[in-house]
Amino acid sequence: MTTLPPALAGAVYDRGYRPYQGPRGGRREATLALWRLSVRRALGLRRSWRQKVFPWTLLGLATIPAVVNVGVAWAIRNNPVEMADFSFITYREYVGVSTVLLLFVALTAPDVVCPDRAQRVLPLLFSRPLTGVDYVVAKVAAISAIVFGFSFLPQVVLFVGQMLVSDGALDYFTDNAEVLWQVPVSVALLAVYYGAVGVALASLTDRRIVGGVAIFGFALITSAVAGIFQSAADGGTPLSLLNIMFLPLDVRDLVFLGHLSDESGLTGVEGGGAMAVGGYLVVLAAALGVLVYRYREVDL
Amino acid sequence: MHPAPPPAPPMLRASGLTMTYPGGSNALAGLTVDVPAGSVGLVGANGAGKTTLFRLMLGLMHPTAGVLEVAGRRVVEDPVAVRSRLGYMPEHDCLPLDQSASDVVSTFGELAGLPSRAARQRASDVLDLVGLDEARFRPVGGFSTGMRQRTKLAQALVADPQLVLLDEPTAGLDPVGREEMLELVGRLAGFGISAILATHLLDDVQRVCEHVVMIDRGHLVLAGPIDQLMQTTGVMRVEVGGRDDAVAALAQALALQGVPAAAADAHNLDVDTRELGEEAFDLVRDTVADLGLRLYALSTRHRSLDDLFLQEAYR
Repeated sequence: MTTLPPALAGAVYDRGYRPYQGPRGGRREATLALWRLSVRRALGLRRSWRQKVFPWTLLGLATIPAVVNVGVAWAIRNNPVEMADFSFITYREYVGVSTVLLLFVALTAPDVVCPDRAQRVLPLLFSRPLTGVDYVVAKVAAISAIVFGFSFLPQVVLFVGQMLVSDGALDYFTDNAEVLWQVPVSVALLAVYYGAVGVALASLTDRRIVGGVAIFGFALITSAVAGIFQSAADGGTPLSLLNIMFLPLDVRDLVFLGHLSDESGLTGVEGGGAMAVGGYLVVLAAALGVLVYRYREVDL
Repeated sequence: MHPAPPPAPPMLRASGLTMTYPGGSNALAGLTVDVPAGSVGLVGANGAGKTTLFRLMLGLMHPTAGVLEVAGRRVVEDPVAVRSRLGYMPEHDCLPLDQSASDVVSTFGELAGLPSRAARQRASDVLDLVGLDEARFRPVGGFSTGMRQRTKLAQALVADPQLVLLDEPTAGLDPVGREEMLELVGRLAGFGISAILATHLLDDVQRVCEHVVMIDRGHLVLAGPIDQLMQTTGVMRVEVGGRDDAVAALAQALALQGVPAAAADAHNLDVDTRELGEEAFDLVRDTVADLGLRLYALSTRHRSLDDLFLQEAYR
């Protein structure tokens, strides 16, 4: 019989229970952890490939205009006349690739909040050092961060690509320097708005599919109703404020142009710009109010 | 000589704790109790106020009146700080079904404030501890009831809480699963983790807890160390024979000496020993001998927690 030396013979250890004596965070760390987990969930990270297809396809779709713009500009870079006239999409317009973003919000906002209620995970979450407000902040910030990323990254592709294919990269940079603040500001305003409204609507139901339909339906119905009033008024009307999902695009125009664009239903209305900003703030506050109310307390 | 250290504060201290819901129903009505560290059973029928007490301990709602302290901290003053040292295992299903046990447990570790890497390491350790080391990467949705209960216990333990609140941890388990869960709960005190086990199964409490708190319709029924409660019954059971009226004769003889006794059946007599204490053994033995009876058995009668609860709650 062969006897193994003690070092190779192996041993079974009862490790028992080891108390944790490392660092321990509070509300801030818990909120950050919930934000990180929600971002991961919305992007399908650490989930099956099926969960990854949708968000990453949308990111690809959102980037297509930038790639086309840069690609065409590169193809005609040796023709100064065509190059001077060419503009497939502007930075301002690109902030409003809203159908793709809306679709993203309609599918991911319910996914990050509905299962918590449907599977009764909320009591466990709130047994941690988290408050209802922390939960709302983490969830809205998660969706907003992704919407920001999906809106901002294609703009970066557009800017860097245009700069590289232009005759003078430095000239292009200085000529378009104002977009370096206009784009992130308007994209951030859009992302926070879509994130808050999307998560608020999703929080009203336990079912993901219902939440998604509610968000998309809400956007369609409010847009259609505002459209009817606009047609009836034959121009700008304060009732265009009912087009709730368009309000951040009005705010975007104020950031880029300093006034409302012709696309806005508030154009021509006295104080239309202020009304757009007011409407934006009221809807944002209402969405956050709904969320705080929905998560003020949970049943065990 | 060093002075004696100050006594440790009770793990739970409730003083005049009252919780009235908006509809007017009184879930807790002036509950006053001190609960020491260790394994404690919180016993009561459905609607007794157990879950309300847990909600108040977690700071998820404010009491209508009274004071509640957990581990020396007033819950209403800093509920988040209290929650950071608590673990909670709900009775109902509460796990994200599409995630693996490892992800679920490490997630709740992170939410308790542990750094990400530490949370994953702790998740691995506690899943090992509860016997789910082999299944840790499987989705919780495919788990049996017993495995889900273990996962719930693991998430409650992952952040190394000072106190863990266990709400009906054996609910829905088969006998083997129940044994295993009770064995795990019974080990917690050895890890330095106090546990409050809310249940209506008194057997579970009797097996794994050192203390018991019994509540009924929001009122305190009884609280104390289980050993003491069960041994200080004040009743001695005496089994006698030797003649047909042995029980009656002994009862009469004891009554003449000022010791109340009542026949339990044809051969057994329950003697009230609350006044005499240990001396009752000698007195009974001598009286049996004087009467020429045969003494078959003489014991302090051990009651079950069920007896205690029924006696105190419906007194």
